[in-house]
Amino acid sequence: MTIIANIKNSYNSFQRLINFYEQNKNRRFEEIEVELYTWFSANLCAVLGGIFDLYNEKLNTIKLRCASSGIEEILLKNEFLTFFGARKIEDNYHTTIPYARFNGTDGKVFSKYIREKLIERDELPNMSDLVKEKMREAIHEIFVNAQIHSESSYIYTCGQFFPRDNRIEFTIVDTGIGFKRKVNERFNSSLSGAQAIQWAIKDGHTTKEGVSGGIGLALLREFVEKNKGVLQIVSSDGYYEYTYKGEQLESFNGSFPGSIINLQFRTDDNSSYILKEEVNKDDIF
Amino acid sequence: MIYSKIMKEITINIVSVVGNVDCTEASDGEKVYKLIEAAFREDKNVILSFLNVELITTAFLNTAIGQLYKEFSEEKIKELLQVDEMTQSGLISLKRVVDTAKVYYKDPDAMRRSINDILGEE
Repeated sequence: MTIIANIKNSYNSFQRLINFYEQNKNRRFEEIEVELYTWFSANLCAVLGGIFDLYNEKLNTIKLRCASSGIEEILLKNEFLTFFGARKIEDNYHTTIPYARFNGTDGKVFSKYIREKLIERDELPNMSDLVKEKMREAIHEIFVNAQIHSESSYIYTCGQFFPRDNRIEFTIVDTGIGFKRKVNERFNSSLSGAQAIQWAIKDGHTTKEGVSGGIGLALLREFVEKNKGVLQIVSSDGYYEYTYKGEQLESFNGSFPGSIINLQFRTDDNSSYILKEEVNKDDIF
Repeated sequence: MIYSKIMKEITINIVSVVGNVDCTEASDGEKVYKLIEAAFREDKNVILSFLNVELITTAFLNTAIGQLYKEFSEEKIKELLQVDEMTQSGLISLKRVVDTAKVYYKDPDAMRRSINDILGEE
């Protein structure tokens, strides 16, 4: 049995999830037993969901156990365990953003999910409508990026509110080809995983041929900066973290089979910062 | 979807074309692009109406409007295209998409050079 212990939104925790994936990735027709131990950040159910689906594709059977009733309760509330045949329990405190899996063509379903499960909930009273709109835009840019670039079968999401700390943790995962392969195949280059992410996040950088773009990730980073949040990206062997204090690049031992975009937003942000950049509709083209 | 007030001016209602108040996907942008392109080929003025649109991504705007700069001159686009009923947030995104497209199509090799810049930073 594999024990996955103390998983938080940190580089070390992502390394442990990669270790878990690497340990079992070549197994077929087997029973893979997993126990979640001590702490598991609920938003990272999106990562686990992606990894489990890859194991399922190889006809393995997954047995998931939660060592503590606390972890089990939260994973029942956010519906992750319902994918393993468990019955959902009510989230009376409204702190979960349910685990969900989307097809790449489900853009409109995703849009409804974000609106109902995140943006229009009463738990964001201190966030201005403008900030909510920018947050929603930023999250959609990520979904669309995964649709266009990842060549992934599914896109996985999950989140969690922390009302007392005024923050939301939200994760979007794909199990597609990842930044490193995408960028290096396009330009016949040899960037490391972290360098490929760093390149992709810069304004106007795109792997698309014949169509300009590359703004979505830059917008996301700018939003995170203004919101004083955190952006973490895991893709292949690369790790990129951005906070308003700066960037951090690292490499992993082993590789994540796709990309994880992990976001932490402040919900006590009532700024109206975009109004400072007023644009006249007659002065665009 | 499209109607003509006078023969020179076409209004494209974005919600009608996309079929939704959320304009997020590149493939929906492509539908809008095809309509603008057809109108521009006949030198028609185009008004893009974003009435009732609630959400716009740059991915949508890149294909809907950004790629016009590949086919048409800045002067022609400026002369023929107008946007209407767009939120301030949408206008900011659009301005950014347009500025990016102008640079991209003038110098397509810049993208490859930027890879070397990343390697050079090490």
